[in-house]
Amino acid sequence: MPSVAGLPWLRHEPVRERLQPLWHDRPLLGELDDMGGRAEFFGPVAREDDEPVFGARWEARTFGLMTVAGATGLSPNFEAMRDAMRRLPRDVYLAGYYRRWLGGVENVLADQGHLAPGELDARVQRGGGAASPAPVPRGIAVRGELLRRSLRSRYPPAVAAKLLPKRFGTVRVTRHQPRFAVGDRIVVRAPRAAGHTRQPTYVTGRPGVVTARLGATLFPDALAVGRHEPPQHLYTVAFAGRDLFGDEAEPETEVRIDLYESYLVPA
Amino acid sequence: MTDDPAVRVEALEALLVEKGLVDSELVDDVIAHYETNVGPLNGAKVVARAWAEPAFHDRLLADGTAAIAEMGYGGAEGHLLIAVENTPAAHNVVVCTLCSCYPWPVLGLPPRWYKSTEYRSRMVAQPRAVLAEMGLELADDVRVRVWDSSAEARYMVVPERPAGTEGLGPEELERLVTRDAMIGVARALAPDA
Repeated sequence: MPSVAGLPWLRHEPVRERLQPLWHDRPLLGELDDMGGRAEFFGPVAREDDEPVFGARWEARTFGLMTVAGATGLSPNFEAMRDAMRRLPRDVYLAGYYRRWLGGVENVLADQGHLAPGELDARVQRGGGAASPAPVPRGIAVRGELLRRSLRSRYPPAVAAKLLPKRFGTVRVTRHQPRFAVGDRIVVRAPRAAGHTRQPTYVTGRPGVVTARLGATLFPDALAVGRHEPPQHLYTVAFAGRDLFGDEAEPETEVRIDLYESYLVPA
Repeated sequence: MTDDPAVRVEALEALLVEKGLVDSELVDDVIAHYETNVGPLNGAKVVARAWAEPAFHDRLLADGTAAIAEMGYGGAEGHLLIAVENTPAAHNVVVCTLCSCYPWPVLGLPPRWYKSTEYRSRMVAQPRAVLAEMGLELADDVRVRVWDSSAEARYMVVPERPAGTEGLGPEELERLVTRDAMIGVARALAPDA
């Protein structure tokens, strides 16, 4: 067995008694977005040659609308958009990526009060293109112009290094000291939070090892629903395949995933 | 109520334009940007440079965001970029089980299979089987490291430099670096392929 530099801890035998029953053994009542390890969705991965960026015009319009809605503030942030997709009916969520996005845009615009109940369906009934474009309010127009100017193939290096991560990322300064260090053994808290969370079920209750600290960021679970919470430290955690999938795990496999501090408890 | 997405999105856009919330030309510009400015050729340039320049290679692995910024790349879904390198002992592959997070500035928008429920559900549990089905057989002693990129960071894989590429220039190297190699479901192409 080759040794993997820096990862001696993953050679340890898993602590079996600490494990919860495998995900496969549990009733399938998970959130739809929580796909990792769910055998009900297993199947061959179909690759297409020369796939276009967008498969159809409506996919492109959906992507464009979502991006514009996010950049101009019609949608508060990307996490709210993810939450809006998670809440879709099962058949819509599973109808494909851009169908899911379209449902997400509809949900988030309704959440933000930009669409009244039934308004879109009525507009569908009426048909036809935009009758009389209304002038775009200044705030939305200014943010739209910033988006337009950002659509370029390359940026000045200083802009790409400093401004863009600030604009698109959620890294924040915090006075809280990180609770965990690289090499610390943790267990992912159980159960996972209800509602929108970035804690997948397949790592819930499982033991892992911190392999990197990624700084502090806004907390997606709070951001998605507009709840104000302090930034949280984010960690990369390594899990041995056996600790996640037991005897069904393939040999010599591990999963690394970035998890927020409140998801983790010391082992 | 129709569920035809083409009809729905057309009506949605018309409605938002009529309300003065969206400018359709801006939607056009966004689509054109992702069709023309952004794509896996950006990532291929990054990888080819890392293969050719040891100092850049080290900077890329130490701070991916800063390294791609040197080349003018960055933006949405690339705000915290981490590059992970394949070696003879360890193979990296990227998935997002919770949605379809993907490093847009260097790889463009993700292919359909990456966003499929099959890939999202299965890659963390059966990576060797999925990779083998996709044409990548790994020796039993190669460790498989699956990155579930579902939080702030986005991951790109730096594939191993193929043998026989010592004399190649940057553009010839770039042609060997495919999108799939940077996701980790393929190796870089051989120079005579």
